[in-house]
This record gives sequence, structure tokens and C-alpha cells, in this order.
Amino acid sequence: MRAAKLNGVLFLFGLFFLWEVVARAELVNPLIVPPLSKIFESFISLLWSGQIPLQILASLKRAAIGYLLAALVFISLGIVMGLFDRVYRALEVIVEMLRPIPPPVVIPVAMLFFGLEDEMKVFVIFFSCAWPILLNTMDGVKNVDPVLLHTARTFGLSRYKIIGQVILPASSPQIMTGLRVSLPVTLILVVISEMVGSTDGIGYFILDSQRRFRVAQMYAGMLSLAILGYLLNQLFNVLHRSLLFWHGGMLRRSR
Amino acid sequence: MKSINWTGWLVFAAVVVVWEVAGRSSPAVQFYIPPASQISGSLIQIIASGEIAGHVGTTLTRFVAGYLIAAVIAVTAGILLGYFPLVHSYLETLIEFLRPMPSVAIIPVAILLLGIGDGMIIAVTVYASLWPILINTLDGVRHIEPTLIHTGKTFGLGRWRILKSIILPAASPYIMTGLRISLAIALILVTTAEMIAGGKGLGFYILDEERSLRNSNMYAGIILVASLGYLLNRLFLLGELGLMKWRRGLVAEEVQ
Repeated sequence: MRAAKLNGVLFLFGLFFLWEVVARAELVNPLIVPPLSKIFESFISLLWSGQIPLQILASLKRAAIGYLLAALVFISLGIVMGLFDRVYRALEVIVEMLRPIPPPVVIPVAMLFFGLEDEMKVFVIFFSCAWPILLNTMDGVKNVDPVLLHTARTFGLSRYKIIGQVILPASSPQIMTGLRVSLPVTLILVVISEMVGSTDGIGYFILDSQRRFRVAQMYAGMLSLAILGYLLNQLFNVLHRSLLFWHGGMLRRSR
Repeated sequence: MKSINWTGWLVFAAVVVVWEVAGRSSPAVQFYIPPASQISGSLIQIIASGEIAGHVGTTLTRFVAGYLIAAVIAVTAGILLGYFPLVHSYLETLIEFLRPMPSVAIIPVAILLLGIGDGMIIAVTVYASLWPILINTLDGVRHIEPTLIHTGKTFGLGRWRILKSIILPAASPYIMTGLRISLAIALILVTTAEMIAGGKGLGFYILDEERSLRNSNMYAGIILVASLGYLLNRLFLLGELGLMKWRRGLVAEEVQ
């Protein structure tokens, strides 16, 4: 296992080395593929000057608001739709009609209503996270073991207590799945909406660097985005484990 | 067959009526939400005049090209990586390095390398659609029961036969999952790339109509894209049903 990991790292460094050599020898147009060392240099200096952190912060703010808002609204709606079949049937057609819309296509609508402000990106993210969160929550609530519900009722728990203490915990693994799927979606949509209509943010930064032919800067922006994506995923994993620490044990016991 | 969800359609009709009334209430509102009747009028008009056919064709061509190329590359690579652990060990870190980056960030690089046009849009679609198919195929190949392969070897099957008759069928449910995820991703990438750097296609059309303040046309375009997404998904499910027919019997037997 460790040897395998070493192989991968060595291969990656080999690739980096090849890139550097090819770029330095100018075998490819250096305006398009600058040497890696130049990209790292640019990355470090943009990091220190605070330019990249500033852009990422702007993007993160939008992403966080849209994501959390979507989580709040669509987990609640998913629970209601999962619990009450009537509500589900009433909304089913509308959900099925909105769902096939590719999220980027919503950007022009959001621009119409909100201009190029933060609200525009927040709305786009809110819309695109809606389906994974809503459908997973609904599924989770619908598939709660009926024995659990009957037991809770037998013990005379009130509706609110049943929702809070039985349904929510029992469906939380699936709710988490929806939230996990939405995480990369959020990141993608914040970048797209910043490319299409914005004056700041990491998506704008990357596209703008390309348009000004500051190529090393463009690659540096992409590198920071890759790091951001990786970190967000790790953060989610840590949260997931600490929130659902009981679930793994339960699965093992039930086997 | 499922019965028709009358409540759902009733609610939908109510939304359309509210939309229509709101749109007619004042010119200021009408600018933002043109009445439903006006939008359907625009929809009929852009279809009848042939204005939209070119855009739909362009988007569809780019989508199909990007998606199919990605499928061929990713399934092949996924099987190779799954079958040869050594190759996988070399490429694993590279994959883990590239995967967390939101795929749309590749668009500026593609513009730089390929300019603005079909090649660029297809290339970014291929890149983004690759990952889910690759990861799922790889997973599928690695989860094949070793007994199956050993049995094949015992019967003296060659590498090629093992690949064709054992690995590919056994991994196919995973491959299908990857293909389904990428279907949506490919459509997202095509429309995005068209918005950022396209002179044609549905993504370009919708954004352009918004900028030209022809909002009714913009909504009509969105209805078209949604229908396209819906139809493609339906088509995929149909194809999957046909391709995976043999498996249903297998799974049912296991359950009994």
C-alpha cells in the first residue's frame, strides 16, 4: 500500500519535472504553458499579497450562504414531503418539471432579478443544491423503519418529539448524502456564476487572468481552487464523522 | 402504469394561472415575469420560425460528441486501471490531485489552448464527464469477485475473453451509474461553455436573450433546455433497461 502511494507521488513529480523541462525548452508555446516553477512563484506571491485569499473569501461567502440556505429550506421541505403524502403529491409535478433544468441556465434568470450582485450567485447555488438535498431527505424520511415509529407512538411521544428524536436521526445518513453531493455542485456553480456575471471571486479571477493573458496567474488560480475543493471535502468528512459517529456502530451491530 | 397525479397537475395549473395574472398586473412585473401565455407564444414562434433549431442542433451535437468521447476514454481507462493495479498505483495521486478541482475551471485553459469554438466546448465536456465514469468503472472492476476471474482462468480463457465475458458484464452496473451521473454533467458543461465563449447553442441563446432584454424568449429557451435534459435522461433509462435486461433475472434469483 505504502509502496503504491510512493509510485503515485513519484509519477506525479515526474510529470511536474517533464512539464518544467518541456516549458523551459519552449517546445510548447510558453505563453500558453509556462514552466511550473513560474506558476508556483505566481501562486505564492498571490497568496502573500492576499489577492487569492480575498477572491476565495468572496466566493466562499456566496457558496456558504447559498448552500446553508438550501440545506435549511430543502431539508425542512423534504421532511414535510416525506411525512405527508398529500404535500408530496401536490408538489411532485412542479419538482419533476424544474429538476431537468441544467443549473447554469438559471444564471440569466438570476441576473435578470438580482443583477450581478451576490444574491444572484446565492440564488443559483440555492437552486442547484435543491434537488440532491430535497430528494435524499424525502427518501430518507420515507424509508424510516416503521417499527421505530410504532415504538415511539406506543411510548406516547408527541409529533414534534417523534420528528426530532426518531425521524431526523434515522434519516440523517441520507440527508448527509444529499449534503455531500451538493458540495461539489456548490463549488462548480459559484465558479460558473462568477465567470458569467461578476467582478470578483475566484471564478472571475481565473477567467479574467486568461483574458489578460496572465497565464501563470490563471494556473495559480486553478491550483488554489483545487486545494479549496480538497479542503472542503476533508472538512465535510470530519463533520460527517463527528455527527454520525453512532451510525457506523449501528450498521455493524445490525449485521 | 402509474396513475396520473391530478393534485400535482392541479397545483401546477394554479402556479401557471398565478404567473399569468402576476405578469399581466403591471408592465414593471411583466418585464421580469412575462405572462405564461406570452412565453408559450415565444416558444411556438422561435420553433416555428426555425430560429432555435440551429441552436438546439449545435448544443446537441456538442453534447453527444463530448459525452461519447468521454464514455469511450473513461470506460477503457477505468478497466485498465482496475485490471492492472500497478498502472493504477502510478496514476492514483494524479487522479486524486485533479478530481477535487471544479471541472469548469478548465474552461479558461481550454480557451487558451483551443480558442473559441466547437473543439473547446467538446474538450471541456469530455474532461468533466470523464471523472464520474472513470471512478465508477474503476470501482466496478475492483469489486468483481475474484472467484469469477479465477474460474475463467481455470477454464483456460485468455485475457481478452476474461475481459469481454467476465469483467465487462460484472462491472456494467457501476459503469451505468457513472454514465448516468455524467449525462447531467455533460449538459451542464456544454451550456456553461456556450455562455462563456460560444456564439451559438442554447446556453449562448438564453444568456443573449436576457442581455437583449427579450425575457420571454429567455424563458422559452429554458423550457427547451429542460425538455432536452428530460428527453436525454429518458432515452438513457430506456437504453439502460435494454442493455441490462439480462441482469434483472440474475438479481431476482439472488433475492430468492
